[in-house]
Amino acid sequence: MTATAITLTGLGKTFGDTAAVQHLSLELAAGSFTALLGPSGCGKSTTLSMLAGLTTPDTGDIHFDGVSILELPAERRPVGLVFQKPLLFPHLSVADNVGFGMRMRGMGRRERSRQIAEMLDRVHLAGLGERRVGQLSGGQEQRIALARALVLQPKVLLLDEPFSQLDTALRTQMRALLRQLHDDSDITTVFVTHDQAEAVEVADTIALMLAGTLAGHGTPESFYTRPDTLAAARFFGVRNEIGGRVSDGRFIATNSTIHVDTDIPGVSDGDAILVIRPEAIHLGGTRSVPGTQTLGRVVAARFAGTHLVVDVEIGNQQLRVHHPAAGRPVTIGENIGVELPPEACTVFSITTP
Amino acid sequence: MTSSAVTSSGVVGSPGTVGRRLGVAVLIAGALLPLVPLLVWAFAGQWRYPALTPQQLSLRGIGLLTDPRSQIPQALLTSTLIATTVAALAVLIGYPAGRAVGLYRFRGRRAVQFLLLAPVIVPGLAAAVGLQVFFIRYHLADSATGVVLVQLIPTVPYAAIVLAAAFANLDTDYERQARALGAGSLRVLLFVTLPLMRPALLLAGLFAFLISWSEYVLTLLIGGGQVTTLPLLLFAAISSSDTTAAAALSLLIIGPPLLLILASTRLLSTRSGAVIGMGRL
Amino acid sequence: MTRTLTPATGEPSGPAALSRRSRTRRSLPQPVRICLLLAPALAVVGVFFLGGVGQALAQSFGYQPYLPGSHLSTDAYSSLWTDPAVRSSLLLTAWVAVLSTALAAVLAVVAALLIRGLGRGRGWTTGLFQANLAVPHLVGALCMLLLLSQGGLLSRLAHAAGLTATPAAFPAITNDRFGVAIIAEYVWKETPFLTVLLLAALSHGAADLEAAARVLGARARQRLRHVTLPLLAPTLAGGSILVFAFTAGSYEVPYLLGRPYPATLPVVALQYYKDTDLTSRPQAMAVAVLIAVLSGLAVAGYLLVVSRLSRRVL
Repeated sequence: MTATAITLTGLGKTFGDTAAVQHLSLELAAGSFTALLGPSGCGKSTTLSMLAGLTTPDTGDIHFDGVSILELPAERRPVGLVFQKPLLFPHLSVADNVGFGMRMRGMGRRERSRQIAEMLDRVHLAGLGERRVGQLSGGQEQRIALARALVLQPKVLLLDEPFSQLDTALRTQMRALLRQLHDDSDITTVFVTHDQAEAVEVADTIALMLAGTLAGHGTPESFYTRPDTLAAARFFGVRNEIGGRVSDGRFIATNSTIHVDTDIPGVSDGDAILVIRPEAIHLGGTRSVPGTQTLGRVVAARFAGTHLVVDVEIGNQQLRVHHPAAGRPVTIGENIGVELPPEACTVFSITTP
Repeated sequence: MTSSAVTSSGVVGSPGTVGRRLGVAVLIAGALLPLVPLLVWAFAGQWRYPALTPQQLSLRGIGLLTDPRSQIPQALLTSTLIATTVAALAVLIGYPAGRAVGLYRFRGRRAVQFLLLAPVIVPGLAAAVGLQVFFIRYHLADSATGVVLVQLIPTVPYAAIVLAAAFANLDTDYERQARALGAGSLRVLLFVTLPLMRPALLLAGLFAFLISWSEYVLTLLIGGGQVTTLPLLLFAAISSSDTTAAAALSLLIIGPPLLLILASTRLLSTRSGAVIGMGRL
Repeated sequence: MTRTLTPATGEPSGPAALSRRSRTRRSLPQPVRICLLLAPALAVVGVFFLGGVGQALAQSFGYQPYLPGSHLSTDAYSSLWTDPAVRSSLLLTAWVAVLSTALAAVLAVVAALLIRGLGRGRGWTTGLFQANLAVPHLVGALCMLLLLSQGGLLSRLAHAAGLTATPAAFPAITNDRFGVAIIAEYVWKETPFLTVLLLAALSHGAADLEAAARVLGARARQRLRHVTLPLLAPTLAGGSILVFAFTAGSYEVPYLLGRPYPATLPVVALQYYKDTDLTSRPQAMAVAVLIAVLSGLAVAGYLLVVSRLSRRVL
């Protein structure tokens, strides 16, 4: 079975006065595992709901392999959906739950039993078919919900924060299971989450949604090294923002002595903001190297397990640095060299927020 | 009250279809229709067959409601006094039992549940016919006191049931916190538990009041015709040929329960347990 | 946390001691505490309810309190068995109760499904149904008389539509042999009760499960059959048992809307009770006991059905 590519074009949905989703355009490659990431209320669950057919979009279109599916009602879409709560039918046994979709399609009992057993095996719950729903743990319930969706061999698998109700250790196991199921079957998967660490760990690509629209789409690494937008950078934990100007391929900070040679394409001369992650800043040395290194004063240092959180003041600019705990010791008040490697800096022109 | 944004952002079945609206309209008509002739008869002076509207309107029926000769004002007073007494006593007596059933798991809990539900469901007359001899003997028959006592049969356990459901949802950590802050048992009760239980207390009292207010058979058997409550008067009026009087009296009888229920629709939450006895009213 | 000993008593004081003092204050062991809590309500139930029914049982065997020379026998029960009034009463009571419950249950399911799909109208439609609860059955009986009798509103509407010429031409559905008006009153009053129960049951997550079923490929009719109705079943069963017990045990409605013969069990019980012939007394008691036993079974049935619902106290 060949995998399905999903295309969202100009999707929008408004509830009352609030626009939950606006102008959302996104392409998901066939067979990809994409995390739809964003804070609460950013519209990611609504997007999922529109993909599944439970909500009708106000504007825009959804294509599977180039064919619009908007006219298809939810019950006819080749989509599997796993919710935050398992939503297992309480009056049915585990096996009947897993076989529900097949029964709705009119599949015969013998064939159903065979596929149910096989699916339960793949989620490591073999032999639990006759259990009642009330006798299961949270992790088991979600695995059954997964099995119930996957047994129908959907073209697209949607998951809405499916592991958020489970404890941490269980969550890791479930992510591994999900990844394995995906890799075995090549189903295009969309995984909604608000947890950035989870998105980075489990997905091939991340689509970041902020305020109802797309704020970045790429590999997890790209969000760390080259975020698409300032908002995306902020969501991923960047707090060092340095205002200044770009001219001739060089960024000059306004209220400090920071100069960085920048080679980002598409950044035009003019006002700009430079962002850099705390762990990318190097502390050390005593000299100033134009273009990368400058001198600053340590104003605070706090031990945080794997690293020291060091606040450094350069002119009127404060930078937060995550300094390796096993690195060069740092004392408060000392003047120290602060290196901002150009490849770790991202510069945004002010006109593009 | 959906669990995830995915389902709450969608609508399962569209609300505005014509068939659905028509169906609801029929339901509403059915719910209101039987009340229409009642309302009209209360203000009818003369309304003979086959007229669809009264030939003559009159306020005689309404006037009876305040006329002491009709005994209605006295019965109103009697009904109100009895119902409020029963409501207060039911909540008072049912409160500790509600706490026990709601907060604790103990052996015999099932039996207690049965003993609390049975007097609500089993018709009162089954017990009242057996009791009457004793009430006569102890001079409780033909008195309001006797009527109050016998009306405790359905109301005390009912109050206990409503309160038990509320206690099951009570977080006892509040009480423990109060104790840890130095409050004694009485203070904990007055300043922590009772305020938290206030909606349930009101609900239990409300339904005990309603049960007592509408009660006929128990009042008849034990009151012996000497204790005249509004339902007894209505029964007599229905059996007479004065339809206007009966209709007007009915409006009076519906009044307080209607006001009380509408005022407390917020309290009629789904987990309150009060729903059980509502079919009895 | 520091603990200091007060010199005089040697008792520990300080924060740890405070909790210990309040712990020792609760010196009652739990079983005793529970019994004390239950005592007042169970006393009322025991003395008045169990005592009353017990007395009815005793008096049905001929026991006459405060009167000498009573001889016990089961005559009352054997005569009940052969009494045509009681037999037809059992039939009529069963007929009225079963039909009322069935009709109310079906209507309530339809009503609940219709109402919950309403957008804005839902609030006051539910309120309307709840207001119906404020109308006592006695008033409901009067309403049915004014609506359904041969001189009532429906008959007059039929006349206005040219269907009937006289009151007598309109079918006699009040005070009739089949209890039509009785059933109508019960259905009118108990449908809103059941609907409110069902709406409550539906609000606890039914919509989510239906959405899940939808994505799994279930069409509307399939969702109704495989998800919604099974979810409603326990509540509907429990509520129906209650309605059955209420309709079988009511007195005012069948008295006003029915006939002296055949009459429902509660009406028969009071007929015998009011009979000046004292030999009817044990028979009245026997009918009362019968009523108590049958509704007691209904209560037990209700508790069995509802016990499957978790987190419910009763």
